[in-house]
Amino acid sequence: MLKDGEKMKAILMLEDQKTFEGKCLAGITGERIGEVMFNTTIVGYQEILTTAANAEKIIVFTYPLIGNYGVNDKFNESEKVWAQAAVLKEPSRIYSNWQATGSFEDFVKKHNLLVLTGVDTRALTVHLRQKGQMLGIISTTRFNTKELLAVLEDFRKRQPVSKIAQISIANPKTVGKLSKNKKRIALIDIGLTRSLLAQLEECDLAISILPYSANSQQIVKTKPQGLIISDGPEQDLGLRLVEQNIKPLIGKLPIFGIGTGMQVVASCLGAKVFKMHCGHHGVNYPIHRPGSYKGQITMQNHSWVVDADSLARRKDIKVTAYNLNDHTVEEIESKKLKILGIQYVPARPGFNEINPAILRFVKMMERRK
Amino acid sequence: MPRRTDIKKVLMIGSGPIVIGQACEFDYSGSQACKALREEGYHTILVNSNPATIMTDPGMADVTYIEPLTVEVVTKIIARERPDAILPTLGGQTGLNLAFFLMKEGVLKKYKVESIGASVSAISCAEDRELFKKAMQEIGIAVPKSGIARSVEEGMKIGLSIGFPLILRPAYTLGGSGGSVAYNKEELEKFLIKGLETSPVHQVLVEQSVLGWKEIEFEVMRDCADNVIIITSMENVDPMGVHTGDSMVVAPCQTLTAEEYTNFVNLCRRIIRRINITGGGANIQFAQNPDNGEIVVIEVNPRLSRSSALASKATGFPIARVATKLAVGLTLPEVMNQITGKTTSFFEPTVDYCVFKICRFAFEKFPRAERVISTSMKAVGEAMSIGRNFREALQKGIRSTEIARYGLGADGKDVINDKMLANPTPEILKQIKDKIRIPNDERIFYLRYAIKAGLSDDEIYQLSKIDKWFIDNIRQIVETEDKIRQYRLDNSESEIHLPVELLSKAKEDGFSDRQLAFLLNTTEDKVRQYRLKNKQKAVYKLVDTCAGEFNAKQPYFYSTYEQQEEARPSQKKKVVILGGGPNRIGQGIEFDYCCCHAAYALREEGIESIMINCNPETVSTDYDTSDRLYFEPLTIEDILNIIELEKPIGVIVQFGGQTPINLAVPLRKAGVPLLGTSADSIDIAEDRKRFKEMLHKLDLLQPENGTAFTFEEAKEVARKIGYPVLVRPSYVLGGRAMEIVYDESTLERFIGEAAKVSGEHPILIDKFLEDAIEVDVDVIGDGETFVIGGIMEHIEEAGIHSGDSAMVLPPYTLSTDLIEKVRQATYKLAKELNIIGLMNVQYAIKDEKVYVLEVNPRASRTVPFVSKAIGVPLAKLATQAMLGKKLKDLGFTKEIIPPHVSVKESVFPFNRFPGVDVILGPEMKSTGEVMGIDKDFARAYIKSQIAAGQRLPKKGNVFVSVRDKDKRAIVFIAKKLADLGFSLYASQGTAATLEKNNIPVKALPKIAEGRPNVLDLMKDGKIQLVINTPSGRIPREDEVKIRSHVILYNIPYTTTISGAQATVNGIEMLIKKDLEVKSLQEYHKALKAKQKT
Repeated sequence: MLKDGEKMKAILMLEDQKTFEGKCLAGITGERIGEVMFNTTIVGYQEILTTAANAEKIIVFTYPLIGNYGVNDKFNESEKVWAQAAVLKEPSRIYSNWQATGSFEDFVKKHNLLVLTGVDTRALTVHLRQKGQMLGIISTTRFNTKELLAVLEDFRKRQPVSKIAQISIANPKTVGKLSKNKKRIALIDIGLTRSLLAQLEECDLAISILPYSANSQQIVKTKPQGLIISDGPEQDLGLRLVEQNIKPLIGKLPIFGIGTGMQVVASCLGAKVFKMHCGHHGVNYPIHRPGSYKGQITMQNHSWVVDADSLARRKDIKVTAYNLNDHTVEEIESKKLKILGIQYVPARPGFNEINPAILRFVKMMERRK
Repeated sequence: MPRRTDIKKVLMIGSGPIVIGQACEFDYSGSQACKALREEGYHTILVNSNPATIMTDPGMADVTYIEPLTVEVVTKIIARERPDAILPTLGGQTGLNLAFFLMKEGVLKKYKVESIGASVSAISCAEDRELFKKAMQEIGIAVPKSGIARSVEEGMKIGLSIGFPLILRPAYTLGGSGGSVAYNKEELEKFLIKGLETSPVHQVLVEQSVLGWKEIEFEVMRDCADNVIIITSMENVDPMGVHTGDSMVVAPCQTLTAEEYTNFVNLCRRIIRRINITGGGANIQFAQNPDNGEIVVIEVNPRLSRSSALASKATGFPIARVATKLAVGLTLPEVMNQITGKTTSFFEPTVDYCVFKICRFAFEKFPRAERVISTSMKAVGEAMSIGRNFREALQKGIRSTEIARYGLGADGKDVINDKMLANPTPEILKQIKDKIRIPNDERIFYLRYAIKAGLSDDEIYQLSKIDKWFIDNIRQIVETEDKIRQYRLDNSESEIHLPVELLSKAKEDGFSDRQLAFLLNTTEDKVRQYRLKNKQKAVYKLVDTCAGEFNAKQPYFYSTYEQQEEARPSQKKKVVILGGGPNRIGQGIEFDYCCCHAAYALREEGIESIMINCNPETVSTDYDTSDRLYFEPLTIEDILNIIELEKPIGVIVQFGGQTPINLAVPLRKAGVPLLGTSADSIDIAEDRKRFKEMLHKLDLLQPENGTAFTFEEAKEVARKIGYPVLVRPSYVLGGRAMEIVYDESTLERFIGEAAKVSGEHPILIDKFLEDAIEVDVDVIGDGETFVIGGIMEHIEEAGIHSGDSAMVLPPYTLSTDLIEKVRQATYKLAKELNIIGLMNVQYAIKDEKVYVLEVNPRASRTVPFVSKAIGVPLAKLATQAMLGKKLKDLGFTKEIIPPHVSVKESVFPFNRFPGVDVILGPEMKSTGEVMGIDKDFARAYIKSQIAAGQRLPKKGNVFVSVRDKDKRAIVFIAKKLADLGFSLYASQGTAATLEKNNIPVKALPKIAEGRPNVLDLMKDGKIQLVINTPSGRIPREDEVKIRSHVILYNIPYTTTISGAQATVNGIEMLIKKDLEVKSLQEYHKALKAKQKT
């Protein structure tokens, strides 16, 4: 029999066998495997966990105090929690905000999310920074590193499955009533977030949300004036299919690739993507535009990035913004092909405001003829 | 964009003396700015009247003026130096206002000086309430609704259109007095009538009440390319209604949702763009309704501020440095982030810890002041603490304030004990509820009492409006406390048996060993041993601007109880410098100045410098002052933890003021090597008996004295040595609870107060030498050579604390013979105590005899003043001496007697404490100081007065009222005033004396007896100077009223005869000839030339 205290015990073991002990939250037990990555944002835990692009990930919150302002369904980026698990320092005992409808713990229970708490997340973050993002396993049932390592090995050998197939909308759906003046867009959902959809709606667009498997004919059939590929899990098997489906439309239709969607578009253009050491996960990333002193602070959430050199071969597409810290590609544009790609997250700049990148794409569609 | 090349010379304005609301944060920002400008190759000119600053060190700017911060003086400097630009955003409100007036009076235009950092229009938009309101409305941001009422009818109309509750503020009253909250129509009418009466201009501001709303602040920066970044958000633990400078503050905000946060960020961006700051930073304060999220903007400061200093220290982002670079045209992406060494400043810092700021108050200094805090700032200093959770940060923060508390209660110092709280009487409950309802400096402790007394989070929230998230965290601390208490030992000799898990939880919650010792009925040392045995050791984490995402090049450290140590100590030879903690009356920027110099000197000597301090306002806690900075409380536990990790060759305790000196003996006992003067010498100087023996041995005089533990003993001692006597508790700072006593009954009353202050320590009784002249001497030694830095004569007579006294260097009335006696006594003392480093001695001279009052074997408050007067960096030399260097080799072997005269004057916070009498005494009350420097005494003195904020008249009316003792002396002063063309008014007694001496004077009736009296004349602006010496400890009612009106109407005043004399001489100088300005570098050059000949 395990004592009460031990019942709560949980462990995170990384691929390199480094372990971190803690306790699991809300009595959620079991084992979860995923790529461990840290996010440096201070607020937005609910949004992060419900973002489909984070599917399969174990999210480490670098900010130690999580749950302070509770949760509210309206902050969900999707219906469910996509992250495999979360690691944090301290879950708040109470929540305090006028908008909260429940506690973080309620949320965890509802979504059966395994959360490892009481971890020296700073030590874990520094370790990941030094060694790079890697696979990890959280377990509440076994703590033997050899056993856990074997589980990890097994996991790695398993045939990867596409997460996008589960995430993407099953049947096409139209949002926003069609009227004469409205522009129509098609949106390939590989992990569409609510906040993106809301902004698009506010742009007065009629949006046909299509499954990732929609082929070019199916896309064209919706008579779109523009095409958007949403953000979603990176390096997913399903992305090849999306790439094939949209390739015929390049140059025919204004295309807006967002996050992983931009990686798909860039791949169609022959670009390569590569994995960064630790990725960019937070809300404080500066981007700058070549030849200008003006930049922008952006929210980013990507581990992979488009290789600038591989893109340089094409004269019809330009890198229009780099990450100022490590000079990776954050935005691409082709005036000729009417392509806009943003690697960063087109978050709302403020209440009821629309991200400038979205507005740019809307303008791009206007200039069609 | 590359830096601007159209400007070459930049003038910077400092913030002047330390006052409540403007402390050393502006030395910090000014010093960073100086460095930043010089890095970019600009010629920098600096003006500041405060000598105790790092920024006024001659090496910081190319040209340094220690001159009064007035339009007249700065205009002279501009005419002389012809700068291309003025940077007004680093000198607080003083600097900003001065620049504003220079613009208004056409000075900037005349000399073609551009205001950089914040344009004149940006300053106007933020500072002018009407313009600001309009600007915010333009961009759709709400401000609290308000209107100015000149009549009851008007007020009713405004009030009813805004809606209740309403805040009513009578215009132009001192410290916001007369303000009230109206909840209904009747109250509104009642308070309007009262308010209109109270206001000298018959105006009342009627404002929408946002009391109890969340107070949220943001630090924002913008460059000329329109890049905007947010440095951090801050949430005030005390909701709206308490000045942010008095509030407990956390960074980042703890209770905002992501959406709310984004919304605030967006508002900040819109505001900074609308105000149009094109190269600098701003602090933006919001209030948010906790019930529905409604937001109003309260104010915008288009400059560096106290909050920006806090934000800098909280995140590691050097706001002042970056703001300066932006002011000269660089953009954020062009300025490197020196903490990470690899990212640029175009980046928003993120943290992985919780920062807590807590204030240090000085109510004990002003017993007559009401012990509440509200919208007018009263805190004299602050401490910042960092933890991995709020509870840890909170408890560390409380310990950092050095108010003899070691955490949130449970340290044996609680005024309401557990027994009383278990079954609280209605009286106690009422006291607790009042104390959490009405904000005050002890509220945090009363929150604990409230929880212990059984109040629910809801009740506490309803009373205090403090967010429940904070209340729950405090509750968790209380719960942990209660768990620990279960392991209390019956016998303090027994072994501790606290479960390790609970010990670990206690440390996680920020409990100090001292608290644990109290709760467990054992000693701090035993707790420490037990803790180390059980491997519960503090680890150090980084402040790195980026939550660990990048490997930081120049981070700083804070302790926490977690798994992994990250401080990575070097193998270099290193020295620890103990800082001074939060500013307070008696221990402020002067000591920080010394600590910084120690760090600079260590760097020059190739030794790693390690700073420990917790004051976020200071230069010493800047990321590049020392090699390694630990942002930690200055208690023995926290210091030993660092020393065990770093293993320094020694610790410097001489520079941080009394805080580290008090730690000298415990550190020595713990086996820590102290650099410089030995702990034993320190003990001799601090221990009354040993000190007496030493003086006897050296054949030096001391005022007759004795020690007493009871009133009976005290009475006996006092009778023996004769009244008046000076009484005080031992081991105190800044003359705390020190008093001059003239008779037995006063003595009895005093004993009660003093005994409380000093615990088991005795009361010290000295013969008070009436009318003696006091002298301060700073001396430096290396164990072989001892050199006097400066001999300073006090302008006020004995009995006034040396920290409050004006001083002059060199002495201006003492004979060569007496000066020589002082000199010899000083050398004897220095030799006997084998001073290695600095020492300060205070003397009283009476009847040609020199009495030793006090010896402080440490850097004194006057070290920066003396260093600047004589052009020798004493603190730096002292550090080198402590490291074993010899003064001979360092080239300082002879006392320098400068040909110019330097006067130090003190600045007081009386205007913050309505109702407090402004007289000076043995208890220190000043918050800061200024320096006047010129070729003769009168000029230097008058400069010091102007710099201290006295608006000295060249003509007009003077009111004179002195005690009998001073009546003879006042005749000559009054005569001179009359000769200079002033008209005299006097109280009846004083008038009689003056009339007898044929001086024309108008006698005024006593306040209660007739009108117009002096108060009426003051109100009408008919009095330009007041000379009023107090008649005793319990002053006559009239005197107190007169002196409080002086503060209210900002009329120059003096409360001592010697002060009056010097003032009148100075006024003569003002009338005869205008004052000139001269840079510190020029004075020092003249000094060097003189030394050579």
